[in-house]
Amino acid sequence: MNLILQPVMVDTGEEGEGCLVFAEGWLVAVLVRLSETHEDAAGFWFLEKGFGRLDRPDPPIFSDLPQAEQWIKEHLEIRRPPRWPGDRGEV
Amino acid sequence: MVRKVVVGRFVENLELYGRLSEADRAAAAALPMAVRRFEPGDDIAVEGDAPSQCRLLITGLAFRHKTLRDGRRQIMSFHVPGDICDIEGLLLSMDHSVSALTRAEVGFVAHTAMEALLDSHPAISRALWRTELVEAAVAREWMVGMGRRTAYARIAHLFCEMYARLGAIGMVQGNRCRFPITQTHLSDSLGLSVVHTNRVLQELRKDGLLSFRGGELIVHDWPGLQAAGEFEPGYLHLRAKSA
Repeated sequence: MNLILQPVMVDTGEEGEGCLVFAEGWLVAVLVRLSETHEDAAGFWFLEKGFGRLDRPDPPIFSDLPQAEQWIKEHLEIRRPPRWPGDRGEV
Repeated sequence: MVRKVVVGRFVENLELYGRLSEADRAAAAALPMAVRRFEPGDDIAVEGDAPSQCRLLITGLAFRHKTLRDGRRQIMSFHVPGDICDIEGLLLSMDHSVSALTRAEVGFVAHTAMEALLDSHPAISRALWRTELVEAAVAREWMVGMGRRTAYARIAHLFCEMYARLGAIGMVQGNRCRFPITQTHLSDSLGLSVVHTNRVLQELRKDGLLSFRGGELIVHDWPGLQAAGEFEPGYLHLRAKSA
């Protein structure tokens, strides 16, 4: 799976450096570089927003972009459990 | 000395919600208890325990929490001196854990002694019941916050709540109180990431509402902080009249 990272400014009240992450044409995540106010985590990349399978209650931070890409790929490739044939998807 | 402080706090906290007679106070003062010390992060009560003693917080602060299998934690409430931090253990087993936020002294009171006190002093029993109802009201308020308030309002609200609760038991001096909470505790309490928590704290500081120094919360603009947190203290039922 190829990811395309597109630089973008994100209004988080910080310095704003971020990027949109696309997988096969789909926007899957927004990453933001953490400013000096985050002290030990300054310069790390934060999963500001994950879509679909990347939407999580505990968004991670990454020391660099390759690490972020690796994590995104791994989490996009986790297959969902197959649906039971009798399940119409309704409750 | 410690014993006087212990029971004093316990009775004072009960009296936040209803008057007690001299006989009630004397009976509470006679509760036999053993005091143990806990360091920050130590477990005071553990999920799954079926305790035979109540744990009465004498000094320091504590919090209730539940941890998922992969380590994600949710903090459900904070406790101040005078609170019994595992009162449900009197009737049920513990379905969550309680840990020390700061160094804490805890009085252990046998359930048999507590039951005897409650059986013979219905006013204490009612006061304790009220404290539990208030705890449920606090939990509802947290639920409203997590479901519907912005991160900014959620954090401001928590600081308002602790400032009001600590103020009610005489633990606010001037405009400051000891509340040495970390960003991780805050994010675990309010369902936020540590990154978002840090951003909001910077914003609250920049807006001149509060600051922190050496584990102390300093409130610079109390009306402003209450407005930011949409804080209406009615749910704490402080100074409620005895029924």
